[in-house]
Order: sequence, then structure tokens, then C-alpha cells
Amino acid sequence: MLEVVIFYLSALIAIGGAVLMIAQRNPVASVLYLIVSLAAQAVLYIQLSALFVGALLIIVYAGAILVLFLFVIMLLNLRGEHFEGQDQKVGRITKYVLSGLFFIELVIIVRQLAIPARTDIVSAQTATDFGGVEPVAELLYTKYLFPFELTSVLLLVAVVGAVVMARREKSEKQGGV
Amino acid sequence: MIPIAHYLILGGLLFAIGAVGVIVSRNLIVMFMSIELMLNAANLAIIAFSRSLNLMDGHVFVFLIMAVAAAEAAVGLAIIIAIFRNRETINADKFNLLRR
Amino acid sequence: MPDYNLRIIIPEIFLFCWAIVVILSDLGSKRKSPQTIGYLTMAGIAVTGVLLYFFRGGISFNNMFQSDTLAVFFKVIFLGSAFMAVGSSFGITNERIKNHRGEYYGLILFSTVGMMFLSSSSELISLYIGLELTTIPLFVLAAFYKDDKLSVEAGLKYFVVGAFSSAILLYGLSLLYGLTATTDILTMKINLALLFLKFGKIGPGFILAMVMIIAGIGFKLALVPFHMWAPDVYQGAPTPITAFLSVGSKAAGLVALLRIFVNGLWSFASDVMQPLDWGIIIAVLASAAMILGNIAALRQTNIKRMLAFSSIAQIGYVMVGVVAADEMGVTSAGFYMFIYLFANMGAFAVATVFGDQTGSDNIISYAGLSQSSPLFAAGMAVFMLSLAGIPPMGGFAAKYMVFAAGIQAGYTWLVILGLLTAVVSLYYYANIIKTMYFAPGESTIRINPSFPAKLVLLLGVVGVIIFGIFPGPVLEFARETAGVFGF
Repeated sequence: MLEVVIFYLSALIAIGGAVLMIAQRNPVASVLYLIVSLAAQAVLYIQLSALFVGALLIIVYAGAILVLFLFVIMLLNLRGEHFEGQDQKVGRITKYVLSGLFFIELVIIVRQLAIPARTDIVSAQTATDFGGVEPVAELLYTKYLFPFELTSVLLLVAVVGAVVMARREKSEKQGGV
Repeated sequence: MIPIAHYLILGGLLFAIGAVGVIVSRNLIVMFMSIELMLNAANLAIIAFSRSLNLMDGHVFVFLIMAVAAAEAAVGLAIIIAIFRNRETINADKFNLLRR
Repeated sequence: MPDYNLRIIIPEIFLFCWAIVVILSDLGSKRKSPQTIGYLTMAGIAVTGVLLYFFRGGISFNNMFQSDTLAVFFKVIFLGSAFMAVGSSFGITNERIKNHRGEYYGLILFSTVGMMFLSSSSELISLYIGLELTTIPLFVLAAFYKDDKLSVEAGLKYFVVGAFSSAILLYGLSLLYGLTATTDILTMKINLALLFLKFGKIGPGFILAMVMIIAGIGFKLALVPFHMWAPDVYQGAPTPITAFLSVGSKAAGLVALLRIFVNGLWSFASDVMQPLDWGIIIAVLASAAMILGNIAALRQTNIKRMLAFSSIAQIGYVMVGVVAADEMGVTSAGFYMFIYLFANMGAFAVATVFGDQTGSDNIISYAGLSQSSPLFAAGMAVFMLSLAGIPPMGGFAAKYMVFAAGIQAGYTWLVILGLLTAVVSLYYYANIIKTMYFAPGESTIRINPSFPAKLVLLLGVVGVIIFGIFPGPVLEFARETAGVFGF
């Protein structure tokens, strides 16, 4: 029973956070709502006995990636005029109608997801350390060593790319951000 | 026990909210956060599947996706900084110079 | 202890290390001649090609890295497009991006490494990360002129679309993982078959997964409903990067599509799920690409936008081969991509050099080019004729192969449509030749390409003509790639 309550509560918070994130005008508030949504999702991860990944979601995603977003918002010192514009009525309405249709369509499809019977039930017995640090690490460093190494390459590339893009050039030192 | 399908539906909803956010929002940073939300919806689906299949491969997948998301965020935010320096705005509607 | 056969991964490791060397050498020697670093990059790519010849064939990393013929064939295309993109970049690295030469070349190499890993991965996780490794450097490269509003805007658009599409792709992959309980593509096929035997149907989850994957890869390929970003990004990005995007990154998307669908699921899905024929879906997308790409290209006045729409149409022709999904189809798609490499990289190299020296990307500015620089104009004419598919250029052999494959597989309507749109395309390709040769020339600037740009142009012309007249060896190579799919 408690499980059901926790599930629906977290699901509600996750969805609510996501919707509020989009609805906010202030980007800082958006980031905070996304963090709330992610925290609720982390609860669900742990409920699905993905302890390690659930912890990572909080530490890495909410703790590092979204804080990076906050830093950037602070760095740019965004004010209303930087992201608000006049409404172009027609364009705006079509945008909402289209996305509404897309949303409904996706929900219908997902509801129909008649994924074969075996995925409808949670298999009751899992190993006691399912989703723990050790078994995940073991997979990561043996079976999935190749994508793991690939990720390290990717992170290096991202560092190089981010430095090139965000660096201020000598000529534009005065003025601007 | 909550059926796995519920987690999947939740994942689908979050994915759809994220997709709508990308289309609707005009603030680049919110747009980008909506994309992050879509990635997380996929992650939730993977974790739910992993649980029902009793396989931990999905956890590795999610772990690596988080690393990819971090890389993407670093580059994406750097591009946003570059365009802000250039144009003094992050309103997506204003970026329409590229037309014939 | 699993077997890590590092031997076959040597080319990738070398190129990756070389990229770091290139970046560091630029940091260390700001005052050296700017050409040195470009030549260094080209040498690295050439050496990787040689290494690829010696270290290939086999599997490594628990079957996650496969150096089969399909991978090697596409790696040649990736290396070729990187080589030609770097070769035509000398003008801009001398002028516009003085401060970040090393990073510019390094990121091109990183992206190439990503493509090489992508073409070798036979499993979803590495495939996804390989795709990201391909595109993330390209986001930065597209925005590389940081003081140019158009370029940064192009980078931003590419980034938003790229990240959005990779999220869609990822959701599709997650559903596929859930359905088949594995991330290995071949095991996936087996598990799907077992599932089908057990339940008698596979259900809408599978359809949703396939649609999402087609959409995700379609964005990368700029297939028609997902092409909106391509002209803008192509116009704004630095021209050599546009060229690299239009050949290298499309070839990467194609190899991902081939790996996931032809290799794993598609043929199977069409057999099992009678009401939904995947061939038809791709065929519709291909026909939309051919129609829209060719018609939109007609009214372009900017050469880069024109080539953008032309490359959308060209991908439509490649898809005719993919639709056929048999030995001849895969062979012809690979061959088409190979010829397209020379013709398109060559055309973009011309546009790059012309843009560098005259500062204009407008088609009208090409007027009178045949008088001021006849060889240069002749090169462009060869590329245009090849893209249009006129014999004896390579483009003709490629189109012929693709259409033959389409007819053999029973898609006659698609081939007829392809022929009609090819006739339409003749108009705008010929228009450029007409402008160069017959329009009254206003500019008398003599175009004088740098040595590496000359090399690239020569490579393009020779490739287009030689492989047009003697397609045999490449076709044989492409046919071997079909063996990977068990045809």
C-alpha cells in the first residue's frame, strides 16, 4: 500500500515539476522545478531497485548538470527582455494546437503499449544486490567496457568544444558579457 | 506491486511534456531543459524495463546516458553563451537571420 | 577474462591520439606557419587510412566492436570526407579562425573518430554514444565563426535539432531494449523472433520504437519530414563544415540505419507484421525527399542553400537503395554514397574556395568564371554533371545502380519518380554550368586555390570520373559489405 502511495505521489511531483518548468517565465525557477521533478524520478528509480543510478541521478544530474544551467543563467544575468517577445497570435496558437495534438497522440500510443505480457509484472525475486554499485560497476568494466571508454572520449571532446565556444576572444574583451 | 506499465506510461508522459516544451517554449534555456527532461523520460523507461527483465544492462545504459547528457549540456550551454554574446538575447523567435 | 582485441581498433586509437596531438601542437606553436597544422591533420587522416588497410577484420570488446567490411567501407568514406574537408579549410584557417586552428582541426578529427566507432558498433549503447560523438563536435564546428551571427545561429539550430532528435532516438532505443531484453542487435533479432513465436504478435510498442528510431536517424540524415534544419545550418556553417556535414554525417546516419534496420529488425518486421511494411514507409520518405529537395533547390540563389536541398534529394536516391534492402540495394546505396563523397565534397570545395576569394556565396557571382579561371570552372562543371547523373561521371553509374536495385525489389513507382525528379534536378545543376560559361561575367577575379584545395579538387574530379568509368573495384567492395547482412 505504502508503495502505491509513494509511486503516485512521486509520479505526481515528477509531472507537476515538469509542467511547471515549462510554464515558468523565470528560467531560474524553471531549473528549480526540473530539479524537483528529477528528485521525484530518483525516488522512482530507487523503488525500481536501481539504487546506484538513482543516487547518480541526484548527484550528477541534479547536482552537477542542472547547477551548470544555473551558473549559465547567472553568468548571462538574464532579464525579461532577453527571452520575452511579443506574441504573434496565429503562430502561437498553431504552436499550442500542434503540440497539444502531439501530446494527446503520444499519450494514446503509450497507453496502448501492449508490450508483451512478461513485462507487465515485476519479477518478484531479484538478487539482493540488484542495482547496487558493485554489480553495475562489474558490468560497466567488463561487458560494457567499450561504450564506457567511448564516453570518456566524448567527455574530452565536450571539454574542447565548450572551451572553444565559451572562451572570450581578445578582440571582444571590452563590453559584453 | 505496481505494474511496470505504470512506470512506462509515466515515462511516456514526461517524454511528451518534454517534447511539447521544446516546441512551445521561446526561452532557449527552457527549451534545452525540456530536452534533458526527454532524456530522463527515456532513462525512466529503461530503468523500469531493467527491473522487469531482471537485467542490469539498462543501468549501465542509463549511467552512460547521463555522461552523454553532461557532455551535451556543456557544449550546448557554451553555444548559448556564444550566441548571447553575439545577439544579446536567448529568445528563440529572434534567431531567424538564416532565410534565403 | 574477455578478449580485448586491440589490434583492429588501432586506426581509431591512432586518429584519436592524432587529434590530441593536433590540438596540443597548435597550443605550443602559435607563431609557426599556419599551414603546418593543416598538413599535419591531413597526414594523420592519410596514415589512419593506411592503418585501416592493415588492421581490419574481426571483433573485439565482447562483440561490441566489429571491423567488418561494412564498417571498413564506410570508414573509407568518413576518412575521405574528413580529408577533403580539411584540405579545403586552409583558406578559412588562415583568415577567419586564427585563434582556434588546432581545435578546429581537432574537432573534425574527433567527429571522424566518432563516425568510425559508430560504423563499427553492433550494439545499441555504443551506437548511441558513437552517434553523439559524431554530432557533438559538429555542433561546435557549425558555430565556429563566433563573431558571425549566421554561423552561431546555425550552430544553435543544429544543436537544438540534434539534441532533440537524439532524445527521440534514445526513447526508441529504450523501447527496443525493453522489448528484446538485450542491446546487441543480432541477439535482438533472435529475441524478437522468439517473442513472435510465443505471442503470435509483437504489438504497438515495437511500432512506436521503430517510428521513433526512423525519426531520430531521419533528423541526422535530413530525410524529408525532418529536414527543416538542413538549409539554414548548411548556409550558416563554415563551408568546409557544411561539406563534412552533408557527406560524413549523412554517411554515419546511413550506416546506423543499415545496422539497426537491415541488419536487425526491418526485414524481420516486414515479414512478421503484414499490415505495416517498413519498406513502404521509407519509400514514401525517400520519394518526399526527392520531390521536395529537387523542387526547393530550383529557386535557391545561394549556392550553399542550393547544395543543401540538392543533398536532401541525393539522400532520397540513396534511400531507394536502402528500401530495396537486398544485396543489390545495400551495394548500390554504399556505392552511391561513395560517388556522392567525391562529387559533393568537390562541389563544396569549389564553393569554399570561391567564397574565400570573392566573399560571395551567390550563384550569380559565378558568372564569367569560365573566362577568369577555366580549370576551376571545369572542375565545378564535372561535379554538377556527376550530381545530376550524366554519363560518364560517377553519378550516372550510382543512379543507375540504385534505380536497378529499386526495380529489382519491385518499387517501380519509386524509380519512375526518381527518374522524373532527376530530370528536374538537371535544371538547377545545369543552371550553374550555364552561369559559369554563358552568363556575361561581371567579376574578373582570378580564382587561385591553395595547394591543398587543388589537391582536393583534383581528388574529387579524378574520383568522379575514374569511378564513373571503372566502377568495378568499388562495386565489388560494396558488394562485400552486403555480405555482412547475410545476403
